[in-house]
Amino acid sequence: METKLIDHLFRHHSGKMVSILTRIFGLKHLDIIEDAVQDTFIKASVGWRIQQPENPEAWLTQAAKNRVLDIFRQLKTAKNHLPNINQGTDSIAINDLFLDTEIADAQLRMIFTACHPKLDPRDRISFALKTVSGFSIKEISSALLTKEETVKKRLTRARKAILKSDLKFKIPQGKALPERLESVLEVLYLIFNEGFHSNKKELLVRKELCTEALRLCKMLLTNKLTQLPEAYALTALMCFHSARLETKTNANNELLDLKHQDRSLWYFPLIQLGNSLMHKAVNTSEFSCYHYEAAIASEHLKAKRFEDTDWDKILYWYQCLHTLQPMPSHILTMAVVCLQKQNYMMTKRYLDQLNPADFEQRSYLFFGCLFDYYIVTNNTKKAIVNIDLAIANVNNALEKAYLENKKRMLLKGNN
Amino acid sequence: MKEFMMIFTSTDYSDLGLSPEELQSRMGKWFTWNDKMEQAGVLRGGNALTPQIRRVSGSNRTVTDLTSVEVKEIVGGYYIVETSDFDAVQKIAEDYPDYDLGGTVEIREIMVFDR
Repeated sequence: METKLIDHLFRHHSGKMVSILTRIFGLKHLDIIEDAVQDTFIKASVGWRIQQPENPEAWLTQAAKNRVLDIFRQLKTAKNHLPNINQGTDSIAINDLFLDTEIADAQLRMIFTACHPKLDPRDRISFALKTVSGFSIKEISSALLTKEETVKKRLTRARKAILKSDLKFKIPQGKALPERLESVLEVLYLIFNEGFHSNKKELLVRKELCTEALRLCKMLLTNKLTQLPEAYALTALMCFHSARLETKTNANNELLDLKHQDRSLWYFPLIQLGNSLMHKAVNTSEFSCYHYEAAIASEHLKAKRFEDTDWDKILYWYQCLHTLQPMPSHILTMAVVCLQKQNYMMTKRYLDQLNPADFEQRSYLFFGCLFDYYIVTNNTKKAIVNIDLAIANVNNALEKAYLENKKRMLLKGNN
Repeated sequence: MKEFMMIFTSTDYSDLGLSPEELQSRMGKWFTWNDKMEQAGVLRGGNALTPQIRRVSGSNRTVTDLTSVEVKEIVGGYYIVETSDFDAVQKIAEDYPDYDLGGTVEIREIMVFDR
């Protein structure tokens, strides 16, 4: 008996089933829908122990169809207003809603709902991971390093906002689309970054967030309305970053910077996919910040060794990015790039534009960069002042140890 | 050879808030166990039980309908295996996947009557 199931089959089907059923019954019945879907998976997980269906995917789709009747009955006994099916679904027969193309359509509607501007930005990520991606509250809290209680509150708040604003379960069209897509891309970008930049030790959790964000991005690219240049650019960016996800930490789970990563372990199929997506992304006269970020990521990947990095190009892309989206962190990065180029005049010019307050809790990054600058310009006194400031302002124990080590090395070298 | 029943008692899945991903990975473990028993040729049957309970008790035949939430533990299913003795079943039962959820396997020999 062949008993191996497709990876994440349940998780992905959960998002599909919730989306289709929401298309039929409407967002206001989301609670009932989610319970019904959850129940289906429990039944499957217990029932399939004894005998697995020949086609598990078809079984799950059929189960979702059967749920339509169950939910109808439940709504009727609860004396709720029965939704008008025809209204919500443009008179498509229910059976047709379970076709692959319609399932994809329903999932896109759910993505747009989860990323709606009427939802609090912090609630969007949790809600998207729950409804679109089938994560449990526990999984969301562990992935986002947030308390389960907080996740619960965010989900409740998101639902309330949906009901209060009476959001329609639709893919926006016309003028509304670009703005709404921007919000979708932002949420997917944040989900990805949570995985990519998280300090969480377990690679698995981080990887799951990255793959999930990438999967949702690809979903946008399969629909004519949403396959826009910035969506291609963001997907390319995720491919580029994902290609080196595994090399970001060493065997002891210590973070490795670009200089120390094993470049031979970078995953080339993803780089190639990213490249071909970039070709489609640049088919526009107006670049988004994702275009520039992807260009920067791709520039790093092009270098066979750290020493081969084309810092001039990277600086250029950062300048473009900063023009489009001015941020202190971009200026700081440009200062770091100039250090690499050994152009200390320019480094100083960038650093002079910045204040520790620009970085709030992360001011240690600014002081750390000043330290590096004063080291290469042989001003040990000022270097020590800044490394002390960096150490005093860092919270993360790992990073603190890293900075303290730097200081020790400097003092040792001086004696 | 003798026949034994392994009876599984645990908290019902629906009361544990498991995610689709966790449910699938749990099911995967059951598949592996199931496959192992089939390959060893010891499996004679089994069933999973739904969590609804109707209990009839006492001389008045008092009927109580219960759900899994109302009981501490619930019999979730059973397997029948054919093997030499208790020790052999105990070995098989070591692969039961839900110990970490507080699950228990009770091993009982099926009684054989002389003809």
